[in-house]
Amino acid sequence: MRRIRSWGPGLLLVAPSLLALALFVYVFLGWNVRVSFTSWRGLLPKYDNIGLDNYVALAHDQRFMQFDVPHIAIFTLVFVVGALAVGFLMALLLDRGVVGENVFRAVFLFPMAISFIATAIIWRWLLDNGGGESTTGLNKLLVDVGLGSWRSDWFRSSSRWAIAAIALPAGWALSGYVMSLFLAGLRGVPEELREAARVDGASEPRVFWFVVRPMLLPVLMSAIVILAHISLKTFDLFYAMDQKNLKIDTPALYMWFTTFDGGFYARGATIATLLLLGVAVVIVPYVWYSVRSEQRR
Amino acid sequence: MSASAPAERTDGRIRSRMAPYFTVVRYLVLFGFACFFLMPVYALLVTALKNPAEVSVVRMWEWPASLSLENFRIVWPKLREGFVNSSLLAVPSSIISSALGAANGFVLAKWRFPGADFAFPLILFGMFIPYQAIIIPMFQTMSYIGLKGGLSGLIMVHVIYGLPITTLIFRSYFSGISEELIEAAKVDGAGMLSTFFHVALPIAPPAFAVSMIWQFTSAWNDFLFGVLLTDRNHWPITVALNNIAGSQSVPFNEAMASALLASVPTLLVYFLLGRFFMRGLMAGALKG
Amino acid sequence: MTEKDADEGREAAAGAASAAHAATEAAAERLGRKAAGIRLEKVGKRFRGGVDAVRDLDLDVSPGEFIVLVGPSGCGKSTVLRMIAGLEEVTSGRVHIGDRDVTNELPQSRDVAMVFQSYALYPRMSVRRNMGFGLRMRGTGRTEREKRVDEVAHALGLQHLLARRPAALSGGQRQRVAMGRAIVREPQVFLMDEPLSNLDAKLRVNMRSQLSLMHQRLGITTVYVTHDQIEAMTLGQRVAVLRDGLLQQFDTPRALFREPVNLFVAAFIGSPSMNLVEATVAGGRVSFGGLSAALPEGSPLAGGDRAVILGVRPTAFSHGEVAGWPSTTVSPAVIEELGDERHVIFELDAPPVDTDATRAAIDARSADDAQLMAGSSRARFTARLPADAPIAVGEPLVVSFDPNRLYFFDPTTGEALRGAASAGPEAGPTKPA
Repeated sequence: MRRIRSWGPGLLLVAPSLLALALFVYVFLGWNVRVSFTSWRGLLPKYDNIGLDNYVALAHDQRFMQFDVPHIAIFTLVFVVGALAVGFLMALLLDRGVVGENVFRAVFLFPMAISFIATAIIWRWLLDNGGGESTTGLNKLLVDVGLGSWRSDWFRSSSRWAIAAIALPAGWALSGYVMSLFLAGLRGVPEELREAARVDGASEPRVFWFVVRPMLLPVLMSAIVILAHISLKTFDLFYAMDQKNLKIDTPALYMWFTTFDGGFYARGATIATLLLLGVAVVIVPYVWYSVRSEQRR
Repeated sequence: MSASAPAERTDGRIRSRMAPYFTVVRYLVLFGFACFFLMPVYALLVTALKNPAEVSVVRMWEWPASLSLENFRIVWPKLREGFVNSSLLAVPSSIISSALGAANGFVLAKWRFPGADFAFPLILFGMFIPYQAIIIPMFQTMSYIGLKGGLSGLIMVHVIYGLPITTLIFRSYFSGISEELIEAAKVDGAGMLSTFFHVALPIAPPAFAVSMIWQFTSAWNDFLFGVLLTDRNHWPITVALNNIAGSQSVPFNEAMASALLASVPTLLVYFLLGRFFMRGLMAGALKG
Repeated sequence: MTEKDADEGREAAAGAASAAHAATEAAAERLGRKAAGIRLEKVGKRFRGGVDAVRDLDLDVSPGEFIVLVGPSGCGKSTVLRMIAGLEEVTSGRVHIGDRDVTNELPQSRDVAMVFQSYALYPRMSVRRNMGFGLRMRGTGRTEREKRVDEVAHALGLQHLLARRPAALSGGQRQRVAMGRAIVREPQVFLMDEPLSNLDAKLRVNMRSQLSLMHQRLGITTVYVTHDQIEAMTLGQRVAVLRDGLLQQFDTPRALFREPVNLFVAAFIGSPSMNLVEATVAGGRVSFGGLSAALPEGSPLAGGDRAVILGVRPTAFSHGEVAGWPSTTVSPAVIEELGDERHVIFELDAPPVDTDATRAAIDARSADDAQLMAGSSRARFTARLPADAPIAVGEPLVVSFDPNRLYFFDPTTGEALRGAASAGPEAGPTKPA
């Protein structure tokens, strides 16, 4: 009894939060899955049970399979690889200490403070694909500096890879974050370790490869997981950029429009559940692993 | 956190002969990146500060012939309400979720109950879920309890979904308190609340700064919950912004000016309190 | 953890003594030829912010010699070591290893091996890969590498740990891996930065003798840094005492003990530390606290009258009256029984010595010797006496001291006033239990 009195108050204090989260996260998640098993269409909820019919239907849904899924795969790939590369490079350059490091870091990170809506508005113009007389944005800049051949239709192109253009604003917004992660990782390597390697005869590149690189693996994992899950969740950016453009349609966009525009609640819930599964696949092992390794320490 | 201060790591090292060349290349590349990051800002400023008559999509990159605040005068009335709404949303929700996060973080770090180590990952997971997977139920629930339309529902939602990150921030912060300090307080007769108030809270201000700044930014920049849960009288700034500048037919200069205006508060917070912003970022990346 | 380390200490001792023999004889052959001398010429180091960590240092280490750099923290000893390694840029002066001027060379190209205080073992590599890393960087082939790593691992009793990672090793084991990594390289010079200070006392003492043994076998020029003067005296063939970036004295332990060049060295070296008191020299005699002694024959102080600081080693005292020696009756304040000897602490009716030099020396000594209570207004002396005669705290005790074993220092500069010709038998620095 006394034991309960020792930890009881703590539990009581967090109980409201726990309950709120239990409801708003777990109950809602379950509820959403439940809806995905119904044939709910229209404003009035309908809780029948048609099993996995919605999922099957989605597998044959042209918009979903031809556009959304490939698009999100391409976007995730380009975005994650790009942000990792840029963020890592920036961290590497800043690690050894430069004059004005704080300025550089402020510049690389400030896009994180801006909403995706504002980011989309700015970049929509930058990635405008007007031609000839009405060339503007990035294209205009490229033409002006003589790189006119690099001009592109960006996300309005008819190519499969149109959506990759959106990785530019996304990368602009998030590379700074990746940089912070890698910078913390690089600076977490004790200087003595590098010194030992130098005395052992390793040149700087080899010091990096044999000593520093292996210690960056956890950071890399963190970064990949976080970027991948953000990529799947992203809605605002696409919505504000060019919402009606099928060429950049994603599951998140589709879910929104089919539910709140079209009233196909069940289908929306199905897409949402699939998104959840996609995110869970990366996040669950990650959270579990990092909490466990924290306990081991 | 070692990433906050620039390291004096090259002090006194013998540099190889190639070092000066590498340094030059380094600065050049960094400068190049900086240009990439600042280019949109340049476009934004240059357009927003142009006289509306002067604006032409084709001449986007040119410096204004004359600086003018006309664009801001045009868009402000359209954004004003959004500003007010977002303030009414972001400030209370950041305060409340930080307060709750502090309490949660303290308990999970220093006053654990059985199952606390199991509860923590469960809470954390809430930070990572795709919101698409809960908006249908949430929409139904909020309509049902009548909190749809106004700002109260939105505030509540932001508080609740902000709990995982604020709890994480405070838990990390409070785990730095030595066990012995807690034990000394217990021996002195303090219960959980007293320990919380007298041992944890006094040292918590930096964590509060981090948490509130992060939550403020998150609430200010949110779009999804805002557009879902509010009626047109209560649109937050992001929704107002999207309405003004979202369509393609809107004058280019107005779009840029409104994007700039809408971002001012969070940018201000970032530049003035960047240190805390940074720590919030780091808290979100669990050390794997 | 201590138990484990003690076991490992024994294990290491056994390993080193027996299995080492054959392998290291061969290594010694190879290495004896390789040992190089080190020469530091007017070396100085100034850090950003204007701090002079090292000033005008001249140091000459003979090939194969084991020297120790010792001094209080902040005296610059680690900086000197790092400059030899090439981890710190030299602000002024030149560094020579062997016959090469290495002042501007990167650490990669100097043939030195270093043992860091924190060991700096690569956390993601096994013990085997840790030890082989230096050879790998220098292009040694796989078979040769494996062979040498196995040799050294055997010598240090690490052969069963080769596949483990540093995190799975105890402190003592990590320390040996760090040493092994250095030995395997067969460098021209060994550099060691307080390698034993993270070990517990018992293991430390054990490892010390291992180090001496290893040096005898391998004969590699070694520069060893420590803040512990006992360690310095027991390990070093010659010891360099540093203070505030300046070299005080570079000499054999015996010479440091018997002929300290200033007050700091005198107070720093020797355990228990030298007793110091303010005294006056007049008419060929030195007086302090009611005592007086005749100056030794031919002492340069005989000429004039002056104030001095007088030093008497605890070992210069004797119990009771001794012919020709000045004596006095004192009242012991503390008696430390050490078995076959005792330390008797008593006060003299004379002011204590409290200068920058003595304070620095006291602060720098290992915690075991530190004084708990601040000094009183009277000088406090420690005498090392045999444990047979019955003495008690507070009861009058007659002690005499050898007038030929007195040390004299200038009260203002702290410089030794040469005149302490030590003719008598010396006990030398105390060997701790």
